[in-house]
Amino acid sequence: MPLVVLLCGALVLYPIGFLIAESLNTGDPSVFPPEEFGLDNYTNLIDDVHVLANTALVSCIATVLAVLFGFLQAWILTRTNIPGRQRLERLMELPYYMTPLIGALAWGVLLGPKTGLVNQAWRALGSPVDLFNIYSPYGIAWVMALFEGTIAFVMISASMKSMDPSLEESSRVLGAGKLRTALRITLPLVAPGVLSATIFVFAEMLGSFAAAFVLGIPGRFYVVTTAIWQATLSFPPDYGRAAAMGLSLFGVMLITLTLARLVLRHGTYTTITGKGFRPREMDVGRMRWPLLAIAWGYIIVAVVLPLGALMLTSFERFATVILPQMQFTLANYETALQMGSVGPAFVNSLTLGISVATIGVPVIGVLAWIIYRSRMPGRGAAEYVIMFPQAVPRLVFGLGLLWAWINLPIPIYGTLWLLALAYFTVFLPLGLRTIASVVLQVDPSLEECARVCGAPWVYQMRTVTLPLLRPGMVAAWLLIFIASVRELGVSIFLMGPNSKVIAPAIVNSWLSSSSELSAAMALIQTATIFVAVAIMFGVARRVTGVTQ
Amino acid sequence: MVYSRLNDTKGETMHRPSYAGGLVALAILIGSAAAHACDTPRQMDGFKTCADVAKAEEEGAFVLYSTDPEAGSEAELAKFHAMFPKIKTNYVRLQAGALYAKLSAERQAKSYLVDVVQLSDISFARDFEKRGGYMSYVSPEMAAYKPEYKSQPEGSWTWGAISMAGIAYNPNLVSKDEAPKTWKDMLDPKWTDSVTVKTSTSGMQHMTWYQMRLLYGDDYWQKFAALKPKAFDSYVQQFDRTVNGQDKVIDTAQYSGYLQFKAKGAPIEYVYPPDGLVAVPEFWGVVKEAPHQEAAKLFLDWFLGVPGQKGYGEALFYNSIRDDVPPPAGGVKASELKLLFPAAWEAFLKTHTQFVREWDKITGLR
Repeated sequence: MPLVVLLCGALVLYPIGFLIAESLNTGDPSVFPPEEFGLDNYTNLIDDVHVLANTALVSCIATVLAVLFGFLQAWILTRTNIPGRQRLERLMELPYYMTPLIGALAWGVLLGPKTGLVNQAWRALGSPVDLFNIYSPYGIAWVMALFEGTIAFVMISASMKSMDPSLEESSRVLGAGKLRTALRITLPLVAPGVLSATIFVFAEMLGSFAAAFVLGIPGRFYVVTTAIWQATLSFPPDYGRAAAMGLSLFGVMLITLTLARLVLRHGTYTTITGKGFRPREMDVGRMRWPLLAIAWGYIIVAVVLPLGALMLTSFERFATVILPQMQFTLANYETALQMGSVGPAFVNSLTLGISVATIGVPVIGVLAWIIYRSRMPGRGAAEYVIMFPQAVPRLVFGLGLLWAWINLPIPIYGTLWLLALAYFTVFLPLGLRTIASVVLQVDPSLEECARVCGAPWVYQMRTVTLPLLRPGMVAAWLLIFIASVRELGVSIFLMGPNSKVIAPAIVNSWLSSSSELSAAMALIQTATIFVAVAIMFGVARRVTGVTQ
Repeated sequence: MVYSRLNDTKGETMHRPSYAGGLVALAILIGSAAAHACDTPRQMDGFKTCADVAKAEEEGAFVLYSTDPEAGSEAELAKFHAMFPKIKTNYVRLQAGALYAKLSAERQAKSYLVDVVQLSDISFARDFEKRGGYMSYVSPEMAAYKPEYKSQPEGSWTWGAISMAGIAYNPNLVSKDEAPKTWKDMLDPKWTDSVTVKTSTSGMQHMTWYQMRLLYGDDYWQKFAALKPKAFDSYVQQFDRTVNGQDKVIDTAQYSGYLQFKAKGAPIEYVYPPDGLVAVPEFWGVVKEAPHQEAAKLFLDWFLGVPGQKGYGEALFYNSIRDDVPPPAGGVKASELKLLFPAAWEAFLKTHTQFVREWDKITGLR
């Protein structure tokens, strides 16, 4: 048991050590190990106060929106009897399939000032001004919220699926309305899921790069990650400043995580008890149609519109949103499919997604149990350590991973093995937060009964705990799989000539070739993930005989 | 507008060697004693090589690290592979800074994966040279390149292409009369909030900043800052926005980007300022400890020769610095253009820190 914690902790702390060393490096950034140390990189952060303030503003707005979207959709799709819930759940995942940078590009097509499709339509109605300007802090927060809303939805859904509906039924029987029940019963009971989602999404927003890169720079609005991008890619590279900026975000996450642990400590959230239950939806009566409209409305805004914008771009000779200029072609898809590197990159990405998720989820399940259920000393500290990669922007953590692993006398640099290890490391927080929300809902007495009856720990985990955690583990598997396929920041530094993955290829295409080619590649990526997930869930249902 | 006569601005920006040229000539004499192509290069189809072709084919593989668009690199490597089917080609494409971070970390850890590296920023190329990253290999094709287009002594890197920057605009939004004609016209307040540039990570932007200061004085960019320019990482973003009417003009407009968008039928026009186009070379060289050394030499010889240079122009719309290579489709030969690049590269390189500080302020990052 401690071995799992030690191993995961080592995977996180080893590259962090390199980042800390570099953040204290005040000499030549190309020299390794650093020869001159000091705190200049941290004290100089005062020059970047406006960037830190921008980051805080956007992150807070985006987190509130994402959790709101996620909670609302999770409640509608898991607790009510609106028709087509399963289809809507699959559609809710779609924004997460897409490389975020391309998703932000799609919103630029829709809501760019003067020429965005929505603004063109608005001006055609006679308005002299634009309806929206996506190149603003609120635009960035909106796009971030739509993409991260999927994570909040998946995490909170996992909690809601583990809830005994009799608790809500009792409330209704005693005369409470549906809204009061949702706010006074459902919400408190899924607090672990909501808090887990909030912590994770907030950390994700702090380190979010794509939306700020595509939508912030045109508005001269910079956040920590775009400043880090500049620092690491310029000459001479300012790795020290980048590392200091990245590590300073951990301080913010530390506070958030501590507050969440305090809240969770002062309540009980068990909903999975010894009394068996079957998840049942609430009959919402006539409200099912407005709720259905809200659910589909979100899908249209978060999925249909950006995918539509990307599809339009992908069929154009040159990317334009001005109708008279549009010329259509299939050449972008031909180019994307003929590029020799694209096929192997897709195969590598899918392979990594399946392996990392399949091996990682049981390990993370055990880790979650240790942190929240065991009495192992240091388990609280372990949670903070495991969450570290989430707090540090992926580009910075990628540098740490590069320096850490390339110096080990193990020949895995440039191979898929290194990418798999790196992905497992950076997705530990994602898996932990997803599964943690369900762990807290399991009544400890269920496991205690198993132990009292003589079951060894491994047997108890296999036959009692892990089956109860299934909704969380399925959700974690899905999120880690998708995140692995679309992973960018770490992949940039660790991929080799024979271990290319797809997200850098899509982003490279946008940066150096054309928006229309990158749109085509992004849609191929989205479709591939959609099909892969559908196949895998279909196979899983056949093998286990379980319906979702 | 195209120029055949080239002016020396303030004695520091040059196109033809003058005082600095004498130093270059001396360096050549010294350098030529130290490095030279093999005595009997082998004539291949369109180029000469000093590589052991049989050994290169036995090595069977070749890896390129490049900042070029992937589709273009693939097309270029496919041509090489078609000529030498026994040599499997592969590449890694990253933005210059990320590529250099990866390359540096690999060399520091003695992990050698790459055979030939292309760098689009001289700062990285010179740093790599100083750290002994290049193998000394004098290709017989380097004889076709003027001394100022090669490392001194020869053999570390060569200009594999030249990237040029001028001014571009959307003719649907800006008439020919209104369009800027000179670099000085870019200071007109009418471009406020509608002009784009590149970020401080761009070697091309550094060169433009440097050249404009030489031409027009230190306050040129202070006046330009009042226009609130938007900075982008790539020319694709600049041209996309201009074509779509979100911006009107592009300062530091990459010539190959213009040719690419024009070929697709996009509404874009280009201005060749009379003072000259800013020119930034691409640096190509064989990496020391390359895992496939003969294949690397063979590739470099092919690439620097006419077949490789022609293919490069076709794939990526880049201009070759060789006069015997046609320009890219729709474009003009580099030798027919007035190009601005430093006579003293060291002096230029020393301004980098100042440039980053000033440019980040101009573009709102600091």
